[in-house]
Amino acid sequence: MKSLVIAVKDAKIHLKDRKAILMMILMPIILTVILGSALKGVMGGGSMSETVLGVYSPESNEMAESIIRALGGDGLAITVERAESEKQLLDWMEEREVHVGLLLPDEWDPDTERAIILPTTGQETTATLIRQMIETFAQMSQAIAHSTTTVMAEAAALSSDGRVDMEAIQQELTTSIEKVMNEQRTYVSEPALEESVSSMQYYAAAMAAMFLLFNAMAGGKSFHQEKRSETLSRLMMTPTSVRSILTGKFIGAFLFAWIQFLIFMGATHFLLKVDWGPSILQVLFITFFYIFSVAGLAMVVAAFTTNEKMADIVGTMGVQVMALLGGSMLPLSLFSEVMRKIAMAMPNSWALTSYTSIMTGTSWSALWLPAGVLLGVGIVSIFICSIRLGRRIA
Amino acid sequence: MLTLTDVKKSFGAHEVIKGISFQVEKGESFGLLGPNGAGKSTLISMICGLIPNGAGEIRVNGKLVGKHLKETKQIIGVVPQDIALYPTMSAMDNLMFWGKMYGLSGKKAKARAKEVLNIVGLTERGKDRIETFSGGMKRRINIGAALMHEPQLLIMDEPTVGIDPQSRNHILETVKSLNEQGLTVIYTSHYMEEVEFLCKRIAILDEGKLIVSGTKKDLNNRLAGGIVLKLTVGTLHPSFIEQVKKLNGVEKVIVQTAEELDVHLQSKMEIVADVILLASQSGVVIHNMQLKEANLETLFLQLTGRSLRE
Repeated sequence: MKSLVIAVKDAKIHLKDRKAILMMILMPIILTVILGSALKGVMGGGSMSETVLGVYSPESNEMAESIIRALGGDGLAITVERAESEKQLLDWMEEREVHVGLLLPDEWDPDTERAIILPTTGQETTATLIRQMIETFAQMSQAIAHSTTTVMAEAAALSSDGRVDMEAIQQELTTSIEKVMNEQRTYVSEPALEESVSSMQYYAAAMAAMFLLFNAMAGGKSFHQEKRSETLSRLMMTPTSVRSILTGKFIGAFLFAWIQFLIFMGATHFLLKVDWGPSILQVLFITFFYIFSVAGLAMVVAAFTTNEKMADIVGTMGVQVMALLGGSMLPLSLFSEVMRKIAMAMPNSWALTSYTSIMTGTSWSALWLPAGVLLGVGIVSIFICSIRLGRRIA
Repeated sequence: MLTLTDVKKSFGAHEVIKGISFQVEKGESFGLLGPNGAGKSTLISMICGLIPNGAGEIRVNGKLVGKHLKETKQIIGVVPQDIALYPTMSAMDNLMFWGKMYGLSGKKAKARAKEVLNIVGLTERGKDRIETFSGGMKRRINIGAALMHEPQLLIMDEPTVGIDPQSRNHILETVKSLNEQGLTVIYTSHYMEEVEFLCKRIAILDEGKLIVSGTKKDLNNRLAGGIVLKLTVGTLHPSFIEQVKKLNGVEKVIVQTAEELDVHLQSKMEIVADVILLASQSGVVIHNMQLKEANLETLFLQLTGRSLRE
């Protein structure tokens, strides 16, 4: 009970500290916006979500109309805007009313003439994707056309003998081709697992993992602050055991980390439209174990430092190294094999990979290992610190 | 209420408490007087169970502190020398927190915090953060935190350090009133006037030893006559000091500085004229002369040859 009183008091003190709020809650949101936007082009996945494609086709033909229909179809999240003239399309692009421009020449035929794709600044990846879609569509159309020609020629040869009903074959082919042409297709290949989240999603998870680590620093500092201000001595003069005090400090760090995470998750979801995945329960599950390990690390900082300044230095350095090696600054997908192995020693890396897995949809069984590792980190930290801190303050 | 028997404490090879024994009765106000470094705070820490005593025994209400730590802590309320409060929390929240640390439930802690705010005269400021308070107000809440669980024994470790006279008076009046209501008080200070005002019995500590203890009357009786003639002169001549010492009725002569001399007298005797005569014969120019009643400061000076505030 007294541990809970100490924990609530610690959480209240944290929440009243404007600097801490700025650092722990506002900062990760700002960094998510900056890093998520800056690395949008590099990370790919999810960048098609708001694409507006401006199209100018002077004289429409069947092929041009088919490609425009395919691009604007359901499931691709592309809004097609038809321009009246080439100038209008270029004006739209200058005013950034469209993300990518598509110029289809007169009587466009993918065999003889190329479509011109013009990206606005920062939309190069989207433009590449659209180009790939057009090429795929064109190749498919050409393949059907060539196949049809070949089949018809062969059939015509056979029909001279009176063995084939040309009219029936022609009818059947026309029906099949129309069906294929009208079928909606998504010409984006399935991305690799680590790159399957958008940059905003990745950095929301990365910043959550990194800034929860800062709790370790704050928790360690809070212990030294109590020591400096003599409130720890006063606590020791009350009939409160050392174990209750240490448990209270641990729960305090745990509680504040939860508040921090829930605010961050809410802000990224509602303000930045970050999709944390189909299972909120899985997110909370892995967060529980991660926060447990972080609260344990807070006690490590308190136990192995002698004053606030030292806790500050050790904590800041530790967080930065862990953030760098654990993938919170640069995506883990860019890491070499060796670096990926090193990352596995960082608790934030386990949390981050779990979050990104949850975002793309994962099974509960896949989360047992990271949860176990994080629980282990927490237990070992608490064990070591309770011995060292207990001796120190008793 | 409190019994100390031959209590000792060493930090490494340095012995800071050298066999102290005294008793404090229920409802008493007991003063611990001594200069900085005399061992007052260490002694208090041992009574409160914050640090273990090296030898001897400390009993609170008959219970050994080391053995029944939880019970003895519940009996004692401690006002530490430093302001041990959470600056970003309100006075009310601080008081409630400390009350809960002594086992008060949320409801009881709230009701008691209101009472305590009234006792320390800060009802109007209950919702304000401690960091917005003046030094004196912080000190008052610091005392209030120790009163939350209605202790039987209140131990105050220099509770008026660095505050304005108005706040000091308020604190002293509050403590006196609490003692009159039956609360046992142990008050430590190096301000002898505070101890004289509050305490019926006094113990004087120096370098970890109890050099004297007793009621104010007992201590006054130990004073050499109780009168001090304070002289401020141009330059002190050794021959003048020797001649003053030989005057009839002079108990002791203490040279304070090169220009200041305290002459302790056995009683109010008419020796001023003799001193003036000796000074003029020795060529010593007297700038100032004061006759003062002896007090605890004088006693400490007599016993140790040093000032309380050194």
